[in-house]
Amino acid sequence: MVKLSDEARKLIEKYQKTEKQKEFQFDFFVDQSKYEKWEDVIIGTEGFGERTFEVKKEDIDAYVECTMEDNPVFKDEESAKKTPWDELIAPPMFITPVVFWIAGTGSGSWIRTPGAINPGQKIEFYEPIRVGDIIKIRSEAYDKYIKRGKRYLTYYSEFTNQRGELVAKWWGTLILPFSKAEEEHKIEGGKK
Amino acid sequence: MSESVKFEDIELDYELPTLKREISQEFISMFGCGSLDFNPIHMDPIWAKNVNLFGFGKTIGHGQLTIALLTQVITNWCYAEGGKLKSIDIKLIWPLFPGDTATCGGKIVAKHPRKKDISFVDLDLYADNQKKKRVAVGKAQVYLP
Repeated sequence: MVKLSDEARKLIEKYQKTEKQKEFQFDFFVDQSKYEKWEDVIIGTEGFGERTFEVKKEDIDAYVECTMEDNPVFKDEESAKKTPWDELIAPPMFITPVVFWIAGTGSGSWIRTPGAINPGQKIEFYEPIRVGDIIKIRSEAYDKYIKRGKRYLTYYSEFTNQRGELVAKWWGTLILPFSKAEEEHKIEGGKK
Repeated sequence: MSESVKFEDIELDYELPTLKREISQEFISMFGCGSLDFNPIHMDPIWAKNVNLFGFGKTIGHGQLTIALLTQVITNWCYAEGGKLKSIDIKLIWPLFPGDTATCGGKIVAKHPRKKDISFVDLDLYADNQKKKRVAVGKAQVYLP
């Protein structure tokens, strides 16, 4: 069975700080056989949504740090107060860890597929995310297609907070590898 | 911020200050942890070499990292003054690899006057690597005060 290398593990452990990062299954090869597959997705089906993301200051800090962000609006309570935002908010793309947290290894797990490629994303932003928010996602399998020999899958996701306010709409697309058998074949081939 | 980001003061073709970032395996791994996207194509140099996806034979930076840098061009420019991102539509053309340097920028291409506080502008965004190869293009809409 394929495993994450020690080199990769060491780098990950260096940056694991938050409670969520420590709890999260970061080896995407584990349970890979259970991930949803392109061929099994039925367009129109609702997915995701079993978990919520409770936003802690450390979650925003980790995202701010990992994107080398130095904007006071996202970094520091006192400075944020001096801006029209009046309080610290999360950067707009903070929805990335939210989606990976909520998808987990359950519904939406296809986004963990090893070797999946990001061809681009379409997102609308509404209410910003703040510390203490509880974010939910409602998703729907939106489109799947084959283009230039590659398989694309798009989910439409609506993010809302604990007050029921809309946070974001995301048309999220990935190019998924053809099949596990083919993937394994490639890995074997690469080892020669 | 020395220059005004008020809707009425912003002119068409105005170019936002660019953002330059060196991409390293450390940066990619750090982003993986912060974004919870631990895909081995980004995080595992050994697996990436073996699987040799698209013949690259090495890890690639997260597309979400490229997108995060593109949105930083906007947030750096106007968030402290009360600007707000309305939407993005990004196409990722080519990966950023460890060792690359990304330069991201944007330009105002349209103005949409509305009632107070909901006027917005359209921007064209781009990201280039150090060889001036375009790695991403996109559109964004931004509310300005």
